[in-house]
Amino acid sequence: MATALALKNLWAAADRATQATTERTWVRWSLIAVAVLFLATFLFLPLAIVFTSAFAKGVSMYFAALREPDTLAAIRLTLLAAGIAVPANLVFGIAAAWAIGRFEFVGKSFLITLIDLPFSVSPVVSGLIYVLIFGLQGLLGPWLAAHDLKIIFAVPGIVLATTFVTFPFVARELIPLVQAQGNEEEEAALTLGASGWQTFFRVTLPNIKWGLLYGVILCNARAMGEFGAVSVVSGHIRGLTNTMPLQIEILYNEYQFAPAFAVASLLALLALATLIVKTAVEWKSTQHANRQEPSTAPAAAPTLTALPGVKAA
Amino acid sequence: MSIEAIGISKRFGQFAALDNVSLVIPSGELVALLGPSGSGKTTLLRVIAGLEFADTGTVRFDGHDISDRTARERRVGFVFQHYALFRHMTVFENIAFGLRVRPRENRPSKKEIQAKVHELLRLIQLETLAQRYPSQLSGGQRQRVALARALAVEPKVLLLDEPFGALDAKVRLELRRWLRQLHDEIHITSVFVTHDQEEALEVADRIVVMNHGRIEQIGSPEEVYNHPATPFVYNFLGNVNLFHGRLEGDKAYIHERETGHVVYVRPHLLEIDRQPNGGSHFRARIKHINAAGPLVKVEAIAEWGDPVHIEMPQEKYRDLHLTKDESVFVIPKDVKVFQNGEAPPQK
Repeated sequence: MATALALKNLWAAADRATQATTERTWVRWSLIAVAVLFLATFLFLPLAIVFTSAFAKGVSMYFAALREPDTLAAIRLTLLAAGIAVPANLVFGIAAAWAIGRFEFVGKSFLITLIDLPFSVSPVVSGLIYVLIFGLQGLLGPWLAAHDLKIIFAVPGIVLATTFVTFPFVARELIPLVQAQGNEEEEAALTLGASGWQTFFRVTLPNIKWGLLYGVILCNARAMGEFGAVSVVSGHIRGLTNTMPLQIEILYNEYQFAPAFAVASLLALLALATLIVKTAVEWKSTQHANRQEPSTAPAAAPTLTALPGVKAA
Repeated sequence: MSIEAIGISKRFGQFAALDNVSLVIPSGELVALLGPSGSGKTTLLRVIAGLEFADTGTVRFDGHDISDRTARERRVGFVFQHYALFRHMTVFENIAFGLRVRPRENRPSKKEIQAKVHELLRLIQLETLAQRYPSQLSGGQRQRVALARALAVEPKVLLLDEPFGALDAKVRLELRRWLRQLHDEIHITSVFVTHDQEEALEVADRIVVMNHGRIEQIGSPEEVYNHPATPFVYNFLGNVNLFHGRLEGDKAYIHERETGHVVYVRPHLLEIDRQPNGGSHFRARIKHINAAGPLVKVEAIAEWGDPVHIEMPQEKYRDLHLTKDESVFVIPKDVKVFQNGEAPPQK
């Protein structure tokens, strides 16, 4: 009874639309319904299908599919590519953000455009560029062949392509952050006698760590999931140059649906884990931001009497 | 430690921030760099600190040329206008920073650092807030922490960039008196930048008035206020009435029309009376009276139509019984005449 009454009051309050920006109740609920329906159709349903298809032939078949040597090789290669691309882009990203955020130089806007290039170009095109440069008929092809170096249709090509397409994530995340924070804290550290490295590790890095972590998470998710660019440079040699997304495609094309979805479920799990970590990082950084806000702590008013003597050098 | 900045020029693109500025600050003095925004005062301070490098000129500490040394090597204490506290560190960690980043061979022990930080916390009267983060402090508290952090490394020179600029009026007043008291206590050569003439006049031993990248005048507060060297200094250090005027011998006369001479009179050096006193005077009509505050501010219209600002003590105002729209006589007690920015003849 009390609940019903409370609910009624709530509805009445909601209906009054107290704020100018609040929509009418039925408008709000229809919008929410549309959004939920959209999410269900395009996100939750596919996710559910991935997992049901993966387990369609039973749990033992699922794990057997994952233990298949070619699949294991694909997982290892994916981890290797991400393991190289993510740290490399972490360093590049910090360096680029630092340069763009702190210094004025000729060609700065060009550099910003360049950083965005991997986002604006189709991954297939970026893969093709590598083939044109490092391929047998490519620019450096004869020289590489003469020195017995294989890049295209080999692991180095996959690592290169992965690094290229994931380059913007860390830099993009950090540039606005570095610009907003300015360099007063670094200047303060400098006047206090800190060296460049000390300033970086003790002042700069702690200030950007949440943005950095966020960029790394997104970068990693894309590095493991990348298909287009990697597909062009890979050559699809089973057990050697197939990454997880490529392995899924091959299995699917061979009508091995259950194993294909089993590998796909791993990538789906990665996506879920990424979302969870991303949410945790966001939550943590807002916690951090809240701490920045001035609290209502009782302010000890400065009393102007009786200064204790301090001997300065 | 004495500071010498000789022949300093600094350009930012087309803009000349400092134009051949020379300044000598004796050891132990508290000096204010005073000027409007864009006058080059902050740039000069940053050049002294080594945060900015001059295009030409020499900076010397105690006679040693340190022009090529970095901010890190100069070992100055620098206090920023917006505090620049390390936001992810507590008050304690902020103050300890300068000691903790020292090379191992001359880094104090943990115990020594703790003792030093607590001594400084006592000095700034924030002992209870050691574990707070900067965001949990008020503006005045943050600025005191910034000051303690700068003092922790025992600098020979303390440089403060608009230290009270971001604070509200009351805290500002308290903190600048506290700074003066602190300076009297530890006698560290200090330079602070301000655009607030009242602040400079109250706190500093000497004032350096700057305008358009040049020094207009250097002197004690009494000197720059009572004997301004240029019209700019007269104008900048307090309110002023401007009249056309004329010089006859050593006497100045206020005129209605353009004469080429400008007569400067501070509002409190104009007296209101009901009778002309035989000396120089002019007629004016009272337009507005503001009796709030220690001085009564009267706005009047001179007989030739220009507004005139006059200040008088409350007692005087009560004796006169001034009313709005009343016609009175205005008697200048002391005036200053400048021509084309030349040094002024005294009245």
